[in-house]
Amino acid sequence: MLKIKTYLRGAFASLLPALLTIGLAFLVGALLLLLAGNDPLRAYQTLFRGAFGSAHRMAETLVKATPLMIMALGTSVAFKAQIWNIGGDGQFILGAIFAVFVALNFPLPAVLLLPLTFLAAFLGGALWGGLVGVLRAKFNANEVITTLMLNYVALYLLAWLVRGPMIDPKGHGFPQTPLIGEALRLPVLIPGTRLHFGLIIALLIIFAGYIFWRSTLGFTIELVGESEHVAQYSGIIVPKTIVLTMVISAGLAGVAGWSEVFGIHYRLLDDLAAGYGSLAIVVALLGDLKPFGIIISSFFFAALIVGGNTMQRLVGIPFSLVDVIQGLVIIFVISRVVYTQWRDRLAVKHFNRGVSDKSVSGSY
Amino acid sequence: MSVPILLPALGEIYTQRSGILNLGLEGMMLMGAFGGFIGVYFSHNLWVGLFLAMAVGLLFSLIMAFLSITVKANQVIAGTALTILGTGLSTFLYRALLGIKKLPPQVETFQALNFPLLSDLPVLGPILFNHNALVYLTLILVVVTSVILEKTTFGLKVRAVGEHPRAADSKGINVQLIRYICVAIGGIYAGLGGAFLSIGFMNTFLDQMVAGRGFIAVAVVIFARWNPYRALGAALLFGGANALQLRLQAMGVAIPHQFLLALPYVLTVLVLISVSKKAEFPAAYTIPYSRAER
Repeated sequence: MLKIKTYLRGAFASLLPALLTIGLAFLVGALLLLLAGNDPLRAYQTLFRGAFGSAHRMAETLVKATPLMIMALGTSVAFKAQIWNIGGDGQFILGAIFAVFVALNFPLPAVLLLPLTFLAAFLGGALWGGLVGVLRAKFNANEVITTLMLNYVALYLLAWLVRGPMIDPKGHGFPQTPLIGEALRLPVLIPGTRLHFGLIIALLIIFAGYIFWRSTLGFTIELVGESEHVAQYSGIIVPKTIVLTMVISAGLAGVAGWSEVFGIHYRLLDDLAAGYGSLAIVVALLGDLKPFGIIISSFFFAALIVGGNTMQRLVGIPFSLVDVIQGLVIIFVISRVVYTQWRDRLAVKHFNRGVSDKSVSGSY
Repeated sequence: MSVPILLPALGEIYTQRSGILNLGLEGMMLMGAFGGFIGVYFSHNLWVGLFLAMAVGLLFSLIMAFLSITVKANQVIAGTALTILGTGLSTFLYRALLGIKKLPPQVETFQALNFPLLSDLPVLGPILFNHNALVYLTLILVVVTSVILEKTTFGLKVRAVGEHPRAADSKGINVQLIRYICVAIGGIYAGLGGAFLSIGFMNTFLDQMVAGRGFIAVAVVIFARWNPYRALGAALLFGGANALQLRLQAMGVAIPHQFLLALPYVLTVLVLISVSKKAEFPAAYTIPYSRAER
């Protein structure tokens, strides 16, 4: 009993900084809204209702959270190794392309084909990101820039495919591929909503993330992130680990693309990724790169997006406010250090004066 | 076409030479493009727009400087944050100030300068003497940047701070101040580069107008190995790729136009591969400096 209590207290204590961060970001957002002549309270109320107002809205929020969870977990794998994979969008797109290609071209029974499309999505993302890993390991090419540039390349590749080689012949020239077979579509969890089986898969992947960080590979990746030198001395082949990290990270982004296509759209379209990549970065950071944290923060940002859309529609407040809040959240997350430093310095001062202080702990 | 890559790249040379990698250029350029447009829209004066773009770039870069120098945060993350923030803020403020219009509001732009006689020269005339003031300003800045970094005490300090901050500190150079100044210069240049897009090249502001040029500028700096003249060459290469892409499209070449659009980005990756291995980064690159730590 006591154990549960301390666990809960621990969980709350680890959530508190994230909550403060979000609160602060919303406060700045409110100031912006005031400056723009809007009523922040009404805006946030609409946002909240838009995300949680009804069972349908809740389901929409969970629908948005699904790919975010998978992708943010992938991002966290790379970030733990200090590899800054910013190319989630591109890997997401490649995963979707590979999966839809398999779904449309292989006449297999659905029981076999569906897992195959899943693997194809992982492979598609993994190839796109693995390439970046190789470039980083072999040529020291900055992965931030290469992943970003490949985002644009992937976007144009998708744009070309849905207008050219993969266009739906019966689609009256619309830029989209044919629909995938009905047996391949992920089943809906709650009838009448769009909430699909992908959520269960996302949660399973998060769970796998827990186990992963306790595995040898997970440990190796973490060690490379802490110090490439130390890793090298302990016999880890760093370039290999870098490539492997990118493969896992990008493969998961590809899977996120799979869940979005096979759960929602059932075909390839332009604008498929819709900025999930940058969002996944914020989610991973706010979640402290931990699987449980990622569940919470992806849910939060999904709510922000769904609510933000409602806000734009009903109150006419631009959706870009959500981007602003995202940017602020990262800034506040990384600025926490200043706060802890300042607190520690204060504590040292107290200590030197002979005042005992039990609350000294700079965790972040 | 090369100017909106070259301008931010020149600023980034200062920033990176001092040991800071500013990946927020993209966001700063967007804010600059917005600032420039809004300035001209409300004042009907191009120079006010230019000034506002610089001010906005400066302000934004100070956040980057604070995060990377004072907070000692990871510079990649800080840069990403600023890009996301810049994307959101510029669009938000644009909508807040101008509302949603059917047609994007337009402003006057910098006109091509007319040099008597010179502009009429065959071949060379239109190539060299038919640009707006910003283009010439940028070319002058290439020389200025090189002179400042190579020939002045300030340039020496910048390089010292980037190569060996501890030694610089022991010589009495204020490491943090120098880095703040360099990031600020980078921000001002990025703001100008953004303004070139909205009031030099086009006559309006679009959310997607920077389109990765900020990141390409960072690649250009690495490609140019922190040398302004080589940066000019690299920027011309990218500007050329962009122009070629437009030309080929207009000619109706059989290559799908999406491939042509992707060309500058593919080129960036290829260039980065070819130079990164032998590039000698400033020794203190991306490492925050703190007196207390060893």
